[in-house]
Amino acid sequence: MFLITCPYCGTRDQSEFSNAGEAHVARPANGEELTDEQWADFVFLRNNPKGLFAERWVHTAGCRRFFNMLRNTATDEILAVYEIGAKPPKVTTVEPATPSGEAPIGSGNDAVKVMRPEEPK
Amino acid sequence: MTDTHTALRRSPLAHRSTIKAMEHAARLSEVPFLGKLILRGDPAKIAKTVTGVAGASLPTACRATRKGDTAILWTGPDEFWIVTPDNAHAALADKLGKALSGIHHQVTDVSSYYAAIDLAGPKARGMLMKLTTLDMDRSAFTEGEVAGSNFGAAQATLWQTASDEEKGGPVFRLFVRRSMADYLWCLLAEAGFEWGMPRQAPLSGETWRLER
Ligand SMILES: [Zn+2]
Repeated sequence: MFLITCPYCGTRDQSEFSNAGEAHVARPANGEELTDEQWADFVFLRNNPKGLFAERWVHTAGCRRFFNMLRNTATDEILAVYEIGAKPPKVTTVEPATPSGEAPIGSGNDAVKVMRPEEPK
Repeated sequence: MTDTHTALRRSPLAHRSTIKAMEHAARLSEVPFLGKLILRGDPAKIAKTVTGVAGASLPTACRATRKGDTAILWTGPDEFWIVTPDNAHAALADKLGKALSGIHHQVTDVSSYYAAIDLAGPKARGMLMKLTTLDMDRSAFTEGEVAGSNFGAAQATLWQTASDEEKGGPVFRLFVRRSMADYLWCLLAEAGFEWGMPRQAPLSGETWRLER
């Protein structure tokens, strides 16, 4: 459990909020030209970094508004909250190294990284 | 026809009557048939017109304002509740719609969708503290404060309508969806049990145990 500062209501308990996944995932403008792989990437595949991550949250029990958050997924440190449509502010955080030196992704499983197709340009 | 309608209507907690804890510690009652409107629009654009029609000014974040028996509650950055006495909301909605024509807005009548429960008395804060993660200390949640949160398993909007200093205060009003009204009523009664509030058996047979 941690506290989240809603940009509209102020600081409330996490139980009032819902996570809505990675932020800044733009719907492709040229949908009809995309391959199945590119669509699958947009619809299903999300980054899962260990460290700094931009994600969407919604204040479900309060004002019911979506907003963006920069969170360190390894430490749960919340570095910034900002409105939908705004650019993420510049922040610095410690990207923690793991004792075994595994890849900087959440599961620690290198295979997940290998399976991910190239980012659409 | 109108009279027949009035005679037949039934508030969400019509099967409950006011209950009290010992020595005026707390009091739980339904406030039936309040008018409730949801008003949406850019506050910067609608504020003046709304104040002209409803009387009260648009509240700032997490606050409520009142003028006479009409109150405006902040429920989101572009969303407000207007709470009126019984049957006053329809005319107000009509007036608002006319006055705001040409400005992007929405007025929705949600009077029957929400039940209103008043919780009053010196132990009211203690009861709410058992059910919600909101900071219910009197220095943090004050008269005129409005917050949406979870109370047990029910989502509700909490509004402090009378201060702690007032006789019989503080008074909190909870707006809850009508299907959850009986659940919240019984849960509040359970939270007041240690101060002598009578237990209420939920209609749908839930059981619970609160820390005491
Ligand atoms: Zn909020």
